[in-house]
Amino acid sequence: MRDVAIVGVGSTQFGRAQWSLLKMMCEASHDAIVDAGIGEKKIDAVYVANMGGSRNNRMAGLSSALVDRMNLYPHTVSETIENGPASGASAIKHGMHSVASGHCDLVLVCGGERMQEVNNFEATEFVSYLSHRYAEYVYGVTLPSLAGMFTRLYMERYGLEPRHLAMVAIKNHENGAKNRKAHLRIPVTMEGILTGPDALNNNPWIAEPLRFFDCCPVSDGASAVLLAPAEMAKQFAKTPVLIAGMGQATDSQAVQDRPDPTELTAVRMAAERAFAMAKLAPKDIHVAELHDAFTILEIAESEECGFFKKGEGHKALERGETKIGGKLPINPSGGLKARGHPVGNTGVSQVVELALQLRGEAGDYQVPNQPKHGFAVNFGGFGNNVVATVLKRGV
Amino acid sequence: MARTVEAAKCANCGKLSYPRHYYCPACHGTKFEPVPIEGEGRLITWTRVYALPLDYAVRYTTLGIVELDMGVRATGQLDIAEPKTGQRVRARVGTVREINGKDVAGLIFGAV
Amino acid sequence: MSPPVYDWDAGEYLTSEEERMIDELEAMLRPPVLPMAPYPPKAVLLASGETMVVRPASVDEVDTMLEVIQPLSWLQRDFYDIVAARLFAELLGWKTHRVRNEYCLVGVIDGVLAGIVNGRLWDEKHGVSYHTLTLKRGLRVGSHLFASKMEHHIEYLGQDEVWIVAESPIGHRRWMIEYPLDKKFEVQHELGGAPSYVLTRDTYFKAKSRLVTGTRPVPPELLAGSYPLRKPDLKVMLTQIEHTLEARL
Repeated sequence: MRDVAIVGVGSTQFGRAQWSLLKMMCEASHDAIVDAGIGEKKIDAVYVANMGGSRNNRMAGLSSALVDRMNLYPHTVSETIENGPASGASAIKHGMHSVASGHCDLVLVCGGERMQEVNNFEATEFVSYLSHRYAEYVYGVTLPSLAGMFTRLYMERYGLEPRHLAMVAIKNHENGAKNRKAHLRIPVTMEGILTGPDALNNNPWIAEPLRFFDCCPVSDGASAVLLAPAEMAKQFAKTPVLIAGMGQATDSQAVQDRPDPTELTAVRMAAERAFAMAKLAPKDIHVAELHDAFTILEIAESEECGFFKKGEGHKALERGETKIGGKLPINPSGGLKARGHPVGNTGVSQVVELALQLRGEAGDYQVPNQPKHGFAVNFGGFGNNVVATVLKRGV
Repeated sequence: MARTVEAAKCANCGKLSYPRHYYCPACHGTKFEPVPIEGEGRLITWTRVYALPLDYAVRYTTLGIVELDMGVRATGQLDIAEPKTGQRVRARVGTVREINGKDVAGLIFGAV
Repeated sequence: MSPPVYDWDAGEYLTSEEERMIDELEAMLRPPVLPMAPYPPKAVLLASGETMVVRPASVDEVDTMLEVIQPLSWLQRDFYDIVAARLFAELLGWKTHRVRNEYCLVGVIDGVLAGIVNGRLWDEKHGVSYHTLTLKRGLRVGSHLFASKMEHHIEYLGQDEVWIVAESPIGHRRWMIEYPLDKKFEVQHELGGAPSYVLTRDTYFKAKSRLVTGTRPVPPELLAGSYPLRKPDLKVMLTQIEHTLEARL
């Protein structure tokens, strides 16, 4: 099994897409190809990450459409990978396997999502399809409602308070304001969203105890990474970023089925597997992109991955350890909260952001002290299918 | 339209599961008997959901996860104005949602 | 005193006879006027930490507002085009005294116009809500301004009911479902589209603590800072309207 490196990255602006889904994905793919500078080399395979294409955008066989639009036929093979919100990291996993096994040399992994083709009710409905059909969906369970119930338990058990959730939102908005491509670039303040006289109006309930600013936006966007064997990566201009480890695990679909609903078992196992493959430990990580579709998840995941003890994640947040200048910056790009959450694409954009950080190309939101190891968690469904990735600078 | 919500009782080892899986989580058996979900239980957690999907015209719904005395957990609507975690609730079956014009039956929990 | 001379070169001078005739014509074209209490300004602390002053606009500010609104009538996103086009007409009608008993409130952040709401009195007890236009998105400016408008109708204008329609599904979700509003479909709203929903005094007071916020009085320097009304930069405004999230709700 060969080592696999990321040799090129690209991303569109996240937010309200001006272009069609396919064009966004072409733009991101093109950016990644140009970033790598592959010259005459051919791309052997394309893995597309997408969740809603066939329903929201009426596109089936999305990867084949991308291959067509980018004139990659007949040589380039492709598949679309759908793993709910974890589609992105899953697609990277498959791309990595193709290269590591020796079947392919250059592999393009491109994620994309265009949610705005349907209205907000439809978008909420569509995402609620991830829940269990008769045990959850029929009750009007949406992902925010599962997150709300999860948050309530967390608060009762670990003493987490609403201000901790607000701190995550404030931190991520502050970071997103520095990220040119982020969806939301308005910084928010504690007074404005929680403690001030108009806070309840500015920040209304979505699923108690989660509020508006605890939930990520519905975004459109596309990102792409170009993978190559580590040996070949040395020929490219930019510093290659090694995919040191990837791990994945699953859990029950219905949240009630879990013996302890506050445990994100799949996150823990996926992280352990990724660290094992990378032969690294949580303490070795310098920058992390965690899946904060809801602010509570950033805190919970940081604990399950081993960065902080269970129930202590919010204390580290309070101490400022997860800010850009802190001990372990989490979501310096703004996370899903501010950078945006084009559902199928998120896993890819997390890896793109980490690659930029490790290369030192993140600009205004660059984590200082030349980070060498990065870590991402891509959380599918409500924690029933999770993929973790460990990246390392240099091969 | 079924008017009970059923858990699955393994014909081999008697373990109750809800939702039903293909194999019994305890003994890997594949034969189950339906057992209606009923009776009392303890509210484990709850939320009020304001951002609702299609077909809803109410401002919010209240949902919760309940640990039933009969030995399964279930998610359901709460017919309780001010829920408290840990309170005793009782299950009943009623219309919980309208999908494509049809009423869908599900669990509703009220205070005891 | 000699009568004014009509000087072709200098411009238009009217004889007192012509003046009187035009005044009479104007009086005929103008609607009757109900007395309207003023809206006391309030300050709202937004999510970003900025403070928005919500205050009544005056007729002399209409020209400034029209300059800001007009480009939005070409923006085919979230019904900005129709709201902008109709609001333009309503404010122009307000300025030229061709709409009865209209009022207009503005939201001002750091001296820059951030949102406009308007409506009018049908009669003493019934009001008609016209439009809500947000120029700075992502901060629930529209939600705060709509609530201010309802506050004005019920608490300061002393009305019993406000008739409301929504052109956009966002509006529908925010108002019809969140307050919630009752149906009053027998009343045809004068915007000419869907039949009206109504906000009654009862519903307003029940929803008030939840939906109507803001602090009074506005500190004098803050209030003074909201005059004169400054226009937002056109390009910046259009970009953030197009790109910013409109709430998932």
